[in-house]
Amino acid sequence: MMMNPIKRMAWSVATLPLVLMGCAASEAPKTAAVQDAAPALARTLPGQQIVAMRRLTEAQYRNVIADVFGPDVVVAGRIEPIVRPVHEMIASGAAEASISPAGLDQFDAMGRNIAAQVFGEQRRAQFVPCAPKDEKVADAACAAKVLTPLGRYLFRRPMSPAEQAFFVKLAGDGAGPTGSFHKGLELALAAMLTSPRFLYIVETAEPDPAKPGELRLDAWSRAARLSFLLWNTTPNETLLKAAEAGKLTDQAQLSILAETMVASPRFEQGVRAFFADMLLFEKFDELSKDPVIYPYFNQDVVQALPEQMLRTITDHLVARRGDYRDLFTTQRTFMTRSLGGLYQVPVGRSAGWVPYEFAPGDDRAGLLGQAGFLALYSHSGRSSPTLRGRAVRELLMCEPVPNPPGNVNFTAVQETGNKAKPTARIRLLAHATDPSCSGCHKITDPIGLSLERFDGLGMARKTENAALIDASGEMDGKLFQGAIGLGKTMAESSSTTQCLSMRALSYATGRSGEDVSNYVEGLERKFAAGGYGIRALFSQIATMPEAYQVVTKPLAAPTHVSMLTQ
Amino acid sequence: MENSARFARLGLFGSAVAAVFALGAVAPTWLRAPADAAAPRPQPLPAPPPGGVMGFVVDSFVQPVIQGKDACPQGTALKLRDAYLATLPAEERAQLERKENEAQLTQRWHAYAFGPNNTNVCSQPDMFERPVMRTVQSKKAWGLDLDEGKTDDTCAHESFATPTGEQGIDNQEYRAMGCTLEWRGVDGIAGDNQSGMKQFMASGEWTQVILLRGVDSLQNDDEVEVIYANTPDRPLADSKGQFLRGTTFTISDKAPRNRNVLRGRIKNGVLTTDPADIVLTQTWGQGGARDIRGNRTKWHYAKGRLRLAFQPDGSLRGVMGGYRPIFDVIVSPAIGGAGSAVVAGIDCAQNLATLRHYADGLKNPKTGKCEGVSAAQAITAIPAFVNDVPAPRTAAR
Repeated sequence: MMMNPIKRMAWSVATLPLVLMGCAASEAPKTAAVQDAAPALARTLPGQQIVAMRRLTEAQYRNVIADVFGPDVVVAGRIEPIVRPVHEMIASGAAEASISPAGLDQFDAMGRNIAAQVFGEQRRAQFVPCAPKDEKVADAACAAKVLTPLGRYLFRRPMSPAEQAFFVKLAGDGAGPTGSFHKGLELALAAMLTSPRFLYIVETAEPDPAKPGELRLDAWSRAARLSFLLWNTTPNETLLKAAEAGKLTDQAQLSILAETMVASPRFEQGVRAFFADMLLFEKFDELSKDPVIYPYFNQDVVQALPEQMLRTITDHLVARRGDYRDLFTTQRTFMTRSLGGLYQVPVGRSAGWVPYEFAPGDDRAGLLGQAGFLALYSHSGRSSPTLRGRAVRELLMCEPVPNPPGNVNFTAVQETGNKAKPTARIRLLAHATDPSCSGCHKITDPIGLSLERFDGLGMARKTENAALIDASGEMDGKLFQGAIGLGKTMAESSSTTQCLSMRALSYATGRSGEDVSNYVEGLERKFAAGGYGIRALFSQIATMPEAYQVVTKPLAAPTHVSMLTQ
Repeated sequence: MENSARFARLGLFGSAVAAVFALGAVAPTWLRAPADAAAPRPQPLPAPPPGGVMGFVVDSFVQPVIQGKDACPQGTALKLRDAYLATLPAEERAQLERKENEAQLTQRWHAYAFGPNNTNVCSQPDMFERPVMRTVQSKKAWGLDLDEGKTDDTCAHESFATPTGEQGIDNQEYRAMGCTLEWRGVDGIAGDNQSGMKQFMASGEWTQVILLRGVDSLQNDDEVEVIYANTPDRPLADSKGQFLRGTTFTISDKAPRNRNVLRGRIKNGVLTTDPADIVLTQTWGQGGARDIRGNRTKWHYAKGRLRLAFQPDGSLRGVMGGYRPIFDVIVSPAIGGAGSAVVAGIDCAQNLATLRHYADGLKNPKTGKCEGVSAAQAITAIPAFVNDVPAPRTAAR
């Protein structure tokens, strides 16, 4: 079977830039001619040094398409996930993410589909400001008018003349065999959407006038940084113009723009993306429970659990401008009809989300009393004080807990039907007497045991195997009772706010927690001065010069040794 | 053409219902319900919630059939094929029942379902003269004493007694229909129709809720407001199809949802309401490619009343009784039309003749004839949250 010439052409266009990506920061291949392949990154950004490339997340991809082409353009398909580095943010993983051949296939298919929608008869008038001389043949001048502004939005900077010439030529090459000017545009746009300039947020640097010999992010990279940090989408016209005018390297102008952005309703989208990353929400995709043990578990509930947490977070931090520490004790949340059954509370409306406030003193207080957290950090058929305690330590206090040794006998904790050891507390006590286990269990279990009045799905319970559950907990020497006690203890701990500062800075820069740790103390002080408000924290990160400095690390020693040299 | 095709599909629905009744084999939980309500006994009941508001969703609403051979000693009522054969002389019947004559028999009993001008026994049952079918012969039935011994607006009838000994039970619907295969299922496998009817409940097309207001005690309370209504909300169920407790339902004020406001009292842990017209949505069809949803009729119980016993686990079990218009009883196969007759083998005309014969209520003052039958539904309901939406004002001032 012969491959369609257009398809073959698009394939070569789609794959070549990503093949070249590996040598993006070095010299471009000499054979890469404008006529045959997309210009390599380094060559198209003269005078600039690429210092980082961060792959778009699925949410970012979808947001960008909606913002550039309209929310009615359907993004069909899933995107290859970015691997999360251990104890880090996906944002850090994005800086090291590659795209597999299968992943490229997905991007290619999605790009073609989007391009077909954009230049289909229904929408093309929005994006084609000129009339081609003949709709059946190429028109380079008109194609340039169409593709140049799109390229600026998609690549987050103006296209270089070489890039512009390449994509215009591609549109012409596509128009020939298809006999359609618009099909040619489709081909060019599909190629843009599989370009590394689009799929990766390419950060480039320029000499830092304040620190001779060092580099700082240039204006276009700052625009992308601000936009993806605060709104989780591509820079809009205002930001691009500000970058063009040099405002983003001016500290005062940068502050004004950042303040405007955190005050915008779109800031909520940025906050949602940050917390979804920080709280490992990708784990909800694989959340499963035994439906016999947990009859309230169903797909509606699975979808509602992360959304409930995000609504609680954004309502408290963004809409109400609340103190981050109070997120662990707030009694305000939102319910759907499905969640109402799980929580055993009335829901005022049958469809959609309804605000709900637990009664004062209810143990459901705070983020840690929400079923999403409790279910995510449980096993499929039982709760887990250890997983819950570990999640609190690692995710919310940035205190990594080692993995258990490989030869641990879990029998004692898995026997949930053992009447002689009716509660998790008793079972864990038996398990943690093993010296090889007790060290770690001491720092996780006393936290998680305070949440034992919620089962593995997060439903409230008072007993386990007919035995009353003791919800007393302990953290760093402080004793408390239940989720509300844990929430208050978390709120009083400086680790809680320091951790958020570190996560936010890591999220913004794509650097690891360790790499940004030097800046956390100062950032935490300003976070406190801002009343632990999320706007103050993100505004601070968006404007701190250190976040835009280029940090170079010495190359690591080779980790692979050829057998031939041994 | 389109109508006849639709009717054929409806008929298949009738047979599907019959199959559900025949094949279902679930625990007969409803059997306990009328018993508990009829013979209240001291039980440890929790205190009502502060404010005295309690909500429930009905998870079972089914005709209470008492299984056992004494109810229908001659077997279940004849299906259309056998009813036709019964009209023939013995010799001709034997001839037709031979295997080689099956096609001829099928043709003839199918023809028995039709009348002039393409009428049929289910779409136009009152145009056919059919004999009374086999009826319940035992003296036992679940239900309520609806007439309380008065005869001024009822017609002569024999009362039942409940298996727990309560006398004067009026349930002529059960007497007339209780030997049909659709009601009885296969004797010995109780609860067949419960599983079939539960599917209608689970579809969300006729979800019923009960809202109690002013409950001061679950043991004794002289005055309780009872709202018995439909809601458009589909019940949430677990992986075994059991409705989940503690979910929320909202009573809609949009037609054809119904909201019945009843006055009741609690005595010895049993809630009883005063007689009133009770109207509920009745929608037929289980969805899918042969969807016949939209064929809505009513559950109409004249002089209807509830008798529900509070259970220690928080649920309600009991009976609704009242007088139903005769035709309402056979509305499902009537909607199915010719399909109900030739596919499910239901002789709606025979059903109608039997119901008319045993009618004991809704006496027409002009004719003196009864146009309704006493009836009962076994009900179980589990705790739920119910948002009440008052019925819209019917007159603006």
